[in-house]
Amino acid sequence: MTDKAVLSVSALCKYFGGVRALDGLELEVRQGEILGIVGPNGAGKTALINTITGFYRATSGRVVLNSTDITELPMHAISRLGVSRTFQNIRLFKRMSVLENVLVAYKQHTTHLFTSVFRSGSNRAEQAQAMHWLELLQLADKANQSAASLSYGDARRLEIARALAGKPQLLLLDEPAAGMNESETRQLITDIQGLKDQVGAILLVEHDMHLIRQLSDRLVTMDAGKKIAEGTPAAVLSHPDVLRAYLGED
Amino acid sequence: MIGDQLFFTGINVLLAWSVYLVLMTGSLSFAQGTFMAIGCYAAGVLTVNFGWPLLPATLSGALLSCVVAAVVGWPALRLRGVYLILVTIGITFCGRVLLENVEYIGGVAGFGGMVGASLTSVFIAVGLVGAALFWLSRTPLQRSFDAVREDDRVAASLGINVPVVRLIGFCGGAFIAAVAGSLYGHYMSFVRPESFDILLSVYVVLYVVLGGVNNMWGALLGATVMTLLPEYFRVLAQWRPSVFGLAILLMLLFKPQGLLSFRTLSSRWKKA
Amino acid sequence: MLAGQILNGIVTGAMYALVAIGFSLVIGTLDKLNFAHSEVFMVGGFIAVASVSWLPWQLALIVIFLAGGLLGLATEFIAFRRFQTTEGKVTAALASMALGLIITDLVHKVWGTEPVPLKLDSPWLQTGQTFFGATVLNLQLVILAVAFVLMALLHILLQKTRMGRQIRALAESTVSASLLGIHVRRVTQAVFFLSSALAAVGGLLVALRGGAASSEIGLSFGLKSLAIMAIGGMGDLRGALVGGLLIGVLEALMFQMGLGRLVEMTAWVTLFAVLIFLPNGLFGGGIHAREQRA
Repeated sequence: MTDKAVLSVSALCKYFGGVRALDGLELEVRQGEILGIVGPNGAGKTALINTITGFYRATSGRVVLNSTDITELPMHAISRLGVSRTFQNIRLFKRMSVLENVLVAYKQHTTHLFTSVFRSGSNRAEQAQAMHWLELLQLADKANQSAASLSYGDARRLEIARALAGKPQLLLLDEPAAGMNESETRQLITDIQGLKDQVGAILLVEHDMHLIRQLSDRLVTMDAGKKIAEGTPAAVLSHPDVLRAYLGED
Repeated sequence: MIGDQLFFTGINVLLAWSVYLVLMTGSLSFAQGTFMAIGCYAAGVLTVNFGWPLLPATLSGALLSCVVAAVVGWPALRLRGVYLILVTIGITFCGRVLLENVEYIGGVAGFGGMVGASLTSVFIAVGLVGAALFWLSRTPLQRSFDAVREDDRVAASLGINVPVVRLIGFCGGAFIAAVAGSLYGHYMSFVRPESFDILLSVYVVLYVVLGGVNNMWGALLGATVMTLLPEYFRVLAQWRPSVFGLAILLMLLFKPQGLLSFRTLSSRWKKA
Repeated sequence: MLAGQILNGIVTGAMYALVAIGFSLVIGTLDKLNFAHSEVFMVGGFIAVASVSWLPWQLALIVIFLAGGLLGLATEFIAFRRFQTTEGKVTAALASMALGLIITDLVHKVWGTEPVPLKLDSPWLQTGQTFFGATVLNLQLVILAVAFVLMALLHILLQKTRMGRQIRALAESTVSASLLGIHVRRVTQAVFFLSSALAAVGGLLVALRGGAASSEIGLSFGLKSLAIMAIGGMGDLRGALVGGLLIGVLEALMFQMGLGRLVEMTAWVTLFAVLIFLPNGLFGGGIHAREQRA
């Protein structure tokens, strides 16, 4: 883990009419770390991921990825620079197989649209790469299954596998443990820990305090679109402001 | 005449495939009538007025159709689905009005003198386009098409340039429709703008809906059935729109994906 | 002459608006695109032909209104009842298109493919008044009056009656509406009834004006109203009215400028131009506007 910032967000604002989803947010994600983000519902955690990836256009502020300003770029361009995300509610391509879901993502990172036409669909090397990601998430044996037939836990892991394709600089995970039971969550913790050396850095948004505490190298808490506290998990989670804003509500 | 029937079947198959190509990217186009007309008239002018042979004339017409599709499609394809459908309908209406008002190509009265297309040329065209679509279904581009069609926001988040993918589908469809148009014109020898109206565009879409929207064989089946069946059952021919409408309604109610609803996988992992 | 043309344009525009409002009502409240709407509009003219020979025109008007409404109910049942999901929207639109084909074919079988004359036994309608130096037929004034009265009645219905409130609630959200105890199906049927009834009366007016009922107008006039609805903003009734009048007047101006041969393009080119700058139409930006992103 170094101090080099993979992603730095400064004065980021996203307003929807009167609603301030993001209100002057400042944070950075460092190389090799897992940065956890916690906060009550409506704090702006998903809005943050959406704005970073270009799903939303920022109202003001800057998002910089490895010294490239990505604030104004369209979604696909941001993705090709190495930013990948999962979605809070699962958005897999249900009509494709498990393997195909990963291959879709992989192609676009490595090949230009037109040259992709001239590569055979069963390109060995790229399939092998896709299988590598599936193996990391225990989905290799389901490669040819339809994505629609997966269990909830498997589907969540496929979301992650798909986001890994192309070895992203920054992986954004939006509540990956939502709806998982105890054993699935424990497996997920192991899986995500195993990802640390596969990608540049990970930003993890979660409600599950146990998971966040275990996984995060650093933790940021948000409320009402702003950062409230930042530091090691232990330090942050005993911070009075945090207890008031977040845990006090539970 | 069986030759005629097979010819028109071939034309309708090409038109159905042109709709299918656009449909693969998640857009519904009712503009095929105009793109067909562009191909027909452009190629016709080149062969009749300038003495070009059929093949280069057809390809030029198809290219022109492609360019028009790109120019009109680029702003239009960014719109939400419904608005896009409306714009394609608008393209067909405007196309017909424009054609009726250009005296050089005969205006309302029509344009004639085109010869050179035969059953063989249609077979070749169908074969080539079919082969191209089949080959396409095995490439990575097909996966990008599928992704855009199923969830375009997620596709964009995975790095796919959605507007460009949509444009490729739209222009490709225009190209194929134009080829069909050129062959049609050079067989009929005489055409009028009213042959390329909104009803044609609607019918062609419904061929694909009937036959199956998930793969190229559905479009082939729908076009073939709807062109040939009325020839053999007189009552079907007289009541063609009603029978067709009824068939579509029943299909949508019971099997909305169409008759041939399977989806072809673009890759399969084989263990070494 | 200009004044005369513009007045002509307003009359046409009022008829466009009547049909467009029907489209807009269905898409605004139910988020459904009903392609059979333009055919119901066309049928209105033919029902008029059938009923005007043995009914006084006031009763015929009511018959047409009701017949249109019934066709609307039939459309809802056949093409829309089964497809309630989000993916079902395209399927329903296609189904309504297929239904439209059937309706047109039936009309052809009964009345043939040529236009059928429609004349009311009333010389008064053919006499004119003079405004601003232009002659306006009483017929045109009647058309204008009927169109505006119907639109006003619709407005009152939506704003002041219980059914109207329920319709507006449904437009906001189907889920909330049903939670509030609103019988979604009944309201859906009411919306289809109203929109199709308006369309059928529109068809009557167009047939009266042109002197004949034609089966072609479903595709030209009817689909044009679809464009007008989109120009005004999907689901926005004011937008449909403004859009209708706008296109009606623009078309009249096209004639005035000698561009009459290109007049059929007006609505579509306007649509294209509007969508480039205002992706949601003139009055769009309400609940149907979504976050647009490059």
